[in-house]
Amino acid sequence: MTSGLSEIFWTEQASLPLLLALQLLPLLGAAVVYALNERRTGVTLGKVFALGELLLCIVAVSHINPTLPALQLAERFAPLAYHVAVDGLSLLLLLLVALLTLLMTLYGMSRGMISPGRLFAVLLLAEAGLVGMLVTVNVAWFAAFSALELWSVVYLLRRWASSRAEILALSRFVQYQAFGWVLFAAGCLVLGWGHAEATGGRWSFDLFDLVGAIPVGKFQTAAFYLLFYGLAVRTPLFPLHGWLPNMAQHGLIAVAPALMVGVKVGIYGMMRFVLPLTPAAVETWQPYVVGFAMAGVFFTAALAFQQSNLRRLLAFAVVSHTSLLVIGLFSLHESGIQGAMLLAANFGLAVTGMWFIVGFVFRRTGTTELHELSGLFERIPFLAIAFLTFGLAIVGMPGTPGFDAAHLILEASIDQFGALPTVATALGNVAAAGFLLWAFQRAFLSQAKAGGHDVDRTLPMEYVVCGIALAAMLAIGFFTEPWLYLTETASQAAAARFVR
Amino acid sequence: MSLPLLSLLLFLPLLGIASIWLLPVRATRHVVAFTMLVTLALATAALVAYDPAGARFQLLERVTWIASLNIHYLVAVDGISVLFLPATALLFLGSLVASWNAVPDAPRLHYSLLLLFEMATLGIFCALDTALFFVFWELTLVPLYFLLGRWGVTGGSAHAATRYFLIMLAGGIPLLIAFVILATSQPVLTFDLTVLLGAPLPRATQTAVFLLCLLGFGVKVPLVPLHTWLPQFALAAPGSLTALIVGLKLGAFGLIRFAIPLAPQAALDLHWLLAGLGTVAILYGAVGMLAQSNLRLGLAYASICHVGLAVLGLASYTAQAAQGAVSLLLSFSVATGGAFVLLEFLRQRTGSTDVNALGGAAKTMPLLATGFMICGLAGVGMPGTSSFPGEFMLIISALEHHTGAGMAALFGLAIAAGGFLSLYRKAFFGPVSRAAVANASDLRPREWAVLVALIVMIVGIGINPGPWIEIVRPAAEAWAAGLGR
Repeated sequence: MTSGLSEIFWTEQASLPLLLALQLLPLLGAAVVYALNERRTGVTLGKVFALGELLLCIVAVSHINPTLPALQLAERFAPLAYHVAVDGLSLLLLLLVALLTLLMTLYGMSRGMISPGRLFAVLLLAEAGLVGMLVTVNVAWFAAFSALELWSVVYLLRRWASSRAEILALSRFVQYQAFGWVLFAAGCLVLGWGHAEATGGRWSFDLFDLVGAIPVGKFQTAAFYLLFYGLAVRTPLFPLHGWLPNMAQHGLIAVAPALMVGVKVGIYGMMRFVLPLTPAAVETWQPYVVGFAMAGVFFTAALAFQQSNLRRLLAFAVVSHTSLLVIGLFSLHESGIQGAMLLAANFGLAVTGMWFIVGFVFRRTGTTELHELSGLFERIPFLAIAFLTFGLAIVGMPGTPGFDAAHLILEASIDQFGALPTVATALGNVAAAGFLLWAFQRAFLSQAKAGGHDVDRTLPMEYVVCGIALAAMLAIGFFTEPWLYLTETASQAAAARFVR
Repeated sequence: MSLPLLSLLLFLPLLGIASIWLLPVRATRHVVAFTMLVTLALATAALVAYDPAGARFQLLERVTWIASLNIHYLVAVDGISVLFLPATALLFLGSLVASWNAVPDAPRLHYSLLLLFEMATLGIFCALDTALFFVFWELTLVPLYFLLGRWGVTGGSAHAATRYFLIMLAGGIPLLIAFVILATSQPVLTFDLTVLLGAPLPRATQTAVFLLCLLGFGVKVPLVPLHTWLPQFALAAPGSLTALIVGLKLGAFGLIRFAIPLAPQAALDLHWLLAGLGTVAILYGAVGMLAQSNLRLGLAYASICHVGLAVLGLASYTAQAAQGAVSLLLSFSVATGGAFVLLEFLRQRTGSTDVNALGGAAKTMPLLATGFMICGLAGVGMPGTSSFPGEFMLIISALEHHTGAGMAALFGLAIAAGGFLSLYRKAFFGPVSRAAVANASDLRPREWAVLVALIVMIVGIGINPGPWIEIVRPAAEAWAAGLGR
């Protein structure tokens, strides 16, 4: 088995260490906004930093060559074991992180939250964590950035918590995430130790080193399980999703879940580290992982049908479609991997859009209980149509980015597992359409109840937030080609180490 | 080739949508009417530009859409699809005129969705790339969901809309999988129908593709037992919308265009399945019609019955059958669509289309009654109406190749005709006993104009079917030749 890893240094491709800038900019932003401490300029600057990060990401995309299988824009600083590099797949998610953060700063304004300055500082800090996880090729750095991001979300949940249920949701969140993080860290230790064993005592957590000294036998299985389950909690993957519904229902609406599940760093981590570092274990355990994921699609869809709260329902929708991503990824087929990553980006955008709309509805009605909502379509038609469009994107409707991605996953799935499991998986998507449409029907299309809430019309800022997300979604949906181009070679490289 | 006629046709409704939102709201209906008129003109131009003796696919436009998946924006027409374009444009125009004064609330949104639906439907008839076709196919669902869910006529319309959407979405899965199997079975990944038609597949793959397509299109046709959405839809939707969904036989078109030619060997092997499904649909639709007391439901079952005839005829895989099926489907667009439009007029006047709430309607509304009779007779294939040539060709083909099924079909068609006349008698003849019927006024000039246009087409094509059938003939012969018949 060849390691097949190569890299191109930033000096050959750009005049600046772009990845370093990408990581430092949000950190700097967080520090500046924190120092300004609730002044109006701080809020404005927060948005400027978020926008700057997005532009910087676009610059980075323009500097790489997606047709090369190598990781690009690489930077190394040996004393700190600092090693970063990106390919098309990580850039896709980086763009998503930057876009979502920008939308969240706009959203935070329109919701009129308390102490927006502090909120923006934490948001930018979380963004720094996410960006760090996406650019690093060192598992220890990945774990460290992951801790930074988790800490930001915990802070968000605690600082803006106002009821006992929220504290309970927070403690559940901390228990799960701490456990998942410890598993992942233990996996890293096993890998590092394996490297030390093989090289005579030199510890390393760098992907490029580790790929040359893959642990064998039981050690590889152990490393696989530790890393996989650590990331599965984070993703979240059925049956380790227990923290999400509570957090979604009681936590800070929209922002917290968007940070945790908007960007699928768990899936990304599996693609970047688990697949290359434990290839034999991945192939051995592939049927079980896929089997669990298929069960997860239906089990969580069935749970979603039972929900009476829109926020909880969306949480189960997330778990259901995340299972689909795992099926794509663990098909170990280039189309499947490409489809899974594209779908991950699509889901992130669509689900975040839906969380935003739920937040807007909550601001008007003070509730997200489905039986208390009615006739919203008459009052906020734009938000209603946006909600449905995001829902359809999750289902993989043609004209949304979900279509081509789901298409690729189906192709890989037919190739690897045959037609029947593929049909079953696709039916899971219809189940998702079922509960989303049913929720839509109850909350938006039903007759407005007498004595119900007097719902305000759509505000300009809400038009902006949803409009940007919708426009991005439809533009990518009808012009998929650049995105396929960006991710194709990287996906082939990721699948190349597995025998088809 | 000078003008990209088909692209103009497809993107014109989008232009109309943009104008709706840019111009003042009081101009909305007129903008929509103008857009639909120009669409009709363009569709007619495409028909004129089409040369039946020329190449198989004409007015072809190909633009690379997603290069790495080899997906193209590929549109063209052949003799099978070219007539559907003006028929579609005409049906939408008729539907608009029929609901002209029933201006819905939120008109901009309503008419935008209607135009989007028109665009998607035209796209279905033009697309030659299976991926592009699928995009248009699924794109029809979104506007229909809103049109039915938001502007339905009964309390349960939101539920009916959700159900329709889910059933159609589930039907899309086998279709998508069939297209993916087809695309990956070629040496180079391709979704291009013109390439796929020329590349024979192994028999087992063909069988899989054919069955998946049959399932996917069968939901839309609808074939028994996949028809359960139709009666509910017909009851919940306003007549102008039902006219569109029942008038446009997208499912049967899909069978002719994709399912059968793409898997010819499997289609020949499984002729009994297709014929059987068609026969069951004919008998089920006919008997189901007898049990109805609502005219809209009756027509819904009648349409199941008639499209069953088209499927049964197709199972003989002759040029004659294809020709008959296409002309029958086209005739239904006019006749069934027209009948639903007339029922919408009736519902607006009396508040119901249930025969128990009517009775004697011909006394107060003689014009409406006459028009409904003519549309209904065309629906049962009366000689002298536009349906007769197609129906005749189909029955001949069926009797020739599936004699037993053909006999059963004749029997079923007779029951359907009886069922229609019985419903008609209850609704339109007899004493007037309801105040709603007694106070109803007959057709107004605008509605009258729709009716005259319908009758001219039904009778005109019925008396002189030659030119229309000739347009279809070369394509139908090519179609049958592809199957080795």
